[in-house]
Amino acid sequence: MVTIDNLQKIYNGTTVVNIPELNITAGESVGVVGNNGAGKTTLFRMILDLIRPSKGEVFSKGINVIESGDWKNYTGSYLDEGFLIDYLTTEEYFKFIGDLHGLSGGDVTERLAPFMDLFNGEIMGQKKYIRDFSKGNQKKIGVAAAVLSNPELLVLDEPFANLDPSSQIRLKNLLKTLREQKQMTMLISSHDLSHVIDVCERIVILEKGQLVQDMQTNENTLQELETYFTV
Amino acid sequence: MFLTLLAHQWRSDLRSSVFQKSLALNIILALLILYFGGIFLFIGFHLDKLLGELYPGQNVVSVFNGMLLVYFLIDLFFRFLMQELPVLAIQPYLHLPISKNKLVHYVLVKSVPSFFNLLPLLFLVPFKVTAVIPAYGLGIATGWLLALMTVTLLNNFLLLYFKRQMSNKPLYTLAFGLVIVGLMLLDYLDVLQLQVVSQVVFGAILSQPWLVIVPVLLLVGTYLLNFYFLKAHTYPEELQVGKAKEATGGDITFLNRFGEIGKLIELELKLIWRHKRTKSVVTLSVMFLFYGFIFYGNGKYLDGFAMLIFVGIVLSGMTMFNYGQFLPGWQGGHFDGLLTQRISPYQFLSAKYWMMVPVMVLAFILTLPYGFFGYKIILINTAALLYNIGVNVFVVFFFSVQNTQKLDLSKSATFSWQGVGASKFVMMLPLMVLPILIYLPFGLLGVPYAGIAAIGGLGLLGIIFQKQLLQYSANRFTAHKYKLAAGFRQS
Repeated sequence: MVTIDNLQKIYNGTTVVNIPELNITAGESVGVVGNNGAGKTTLFRMILDLIRPSKGEVFSKGINVIESGDWKNYTGSYLDEGFLIDYLTTEEYFKFIGDLHGLSGGDVTERLAPFMDLFNGEIMGQKKYIRDFSKGNQKKIGVAAAVLSNPELLVLDEPFANLDPSSQIRLKNLLKTLREQKQMTMLISSHDLSHVIDVCERIVILEKGQLVQDMQTNENTLQELETYFTV
Repeated sequence: MFLTLLAHQWRSDLRSSVFQKSLALNIILALLILYFGGIFLFIGFHLDKLLGELYPGQNVVSVFNGMLLVYFLIDLFFRFLMQELPVLAIQPYLHLPISKNKLVHYVLVKSVPSFFNLLPLLFLVPFKVTAVIPAYGLGIATGWLLALMTVTLLNNFLLLYFKRQMSNKPLYTLAFGLVIVGLMLLDYLDVLQLQVVSQVVFGAILSQPWLVIVPVLLLVGTYLLNFYFLKAHTYPEELQVGKAKEATGGDITFLNRFGEIGKLIELELKLIWRHKRTKSVVTLSVMFLFYGFIFYGNGKYLDGFAMLIFVGIVLSGMTMFNYGQFLPGWQGGHFDGLLTQRISPYQFLSAKYWMMVPVMVLAFILTLPYGFFGYKIILINTAALLYNIGVNVFVVFFFSVQNTQKLDLSKSATFSWQGVGASKFVMMLPLMVLPILIYLPFGLLGVPYAGIAAIGGLGLLGIIFQKQLLQYSANRFTAHKYKLAAGFRQS
């Protein structure tokens, strides 16, 4: 699905991302963990063609993301509030995203149905602009919009941050369902080790831009990660 | 404590990103202030002679007094348009052990040293020295100046109060505005002569200096009115700040017929409608439609061509220049989101193109009545319209990839220099000067109409090759998009 080949990003002589090789096969869900400044977001931005790599390439389904925008048809993503058109109401925003993917109003409602638990009655029908929602609710809107197009690849940066405990658990279950029922390929970064292990079957650890560990999730993973991050 | 607060304010001004970013801009701003300050000083020193010539045989001071009331009404009007409410600044202090009274006094006193309050001093003081002191003596003249400055401050606090009321009790503000308009109207209908009233009121202060107490009392009253109102409402959600506005405006279904480009246009129209700064750009652009009167009303421009070409370009193109010069900084807040959606750069730019074209055509139609000044104007404006649609839009697109600064859309455009940089001035040159340069050789050869045809023809060529030009702009956009996205993320 996604192949990274000798990818580097260098800012003023500092290497922030340096990944010689990373392959993500279709249907795989990969969790990216690492401390602040490890290069998670920069990596995601390069995968989404928002930052030009200093070196190397990102291939999505074998096509370099820089050369063609085809990947946008099957990729849903939410990194931060910069992805939200914050002067629209929630409904208008979902409609806009739905329209771009050729979904009818009914399709949009249907696809949002699984999100109603997560939304907790605070998102739809609020008659207010997205910019006036709380950070947590903005995140829910962004994640829902990313999933709306039923993408083959879903890229989320810190989806659990800013959410209350119930919402975190609901979102976790939602992502698991998506993975199991739709075989969605996922790339999720998180600081919450237990959640990310629950959702993802593979964990990679980034440190100072380097990929230092790549493992399949099993019952010992949480322990291993905790040991790794205990300094 | 009060001084600490002021020091914080000073730092917040000094450290604001706009102020720090561009030295050149600050120099320009300083020059502008010096220029206008100089003009006011000059007027102040020569006002007595000027009024003496305009109204021979009348007492200069009393003529001046006659104008004051109208001046203060106009002052109020401009304050209403431009003066900002100083409120947000106290939010971080509300939870700290500082008494509310102090904070409220601070907010109110902070509004005093503003541009609007200091400007009158620049011409009042010289006028006092040259005209009032010789006639009435230092003591009375000082009382008079004091009264006028008090009225200026009275305006300041009146406006703060009514502008603040606008959010919860709009009827108050409306009534206030109606009273002022009513006064102007009565004056116009000669029912009430503001000039005479003004002469009597301000003349009274010169004959009975103790009357200064009246405006002072009024000022104290208004200050207290503000004080108690603010004190009772020191909650951010009760003041205008941070109040979530209810969503307005539905879908523009008509645009759905144009597919994805229609959607993008709808999106951008909502952006314009729902933000303060974009709305004020639109208002400003409407005012530019009246620009023609300055030139067409004056016979000497009507004989030439070059100036009329300039006016023609401005009339139909100003909205596009005003809005387009910041592209795509308007969408800086969600630029990453747009880039990851199924929108090609070609669609992105086409939507902007097809949003601007109708606006320019509309501006052209609205300014058609200028044709009464001569049919030549219609001819030139048509050529200018074609040139704007065929060439200038793409010039704007060409320069737009340099706009890496995100715009803060919640601020009003008046006095907002955010996003303005040297590139903006450079960009305006080809937009307005190039068509005149194209015309120039024809003008010098004595075939001006051929020059007009050349401008129109060039525009027509641009319209014919519109697809290719859009594709070129899209390619340029693609090449620069990382730089743009990085810039928007930072600012």
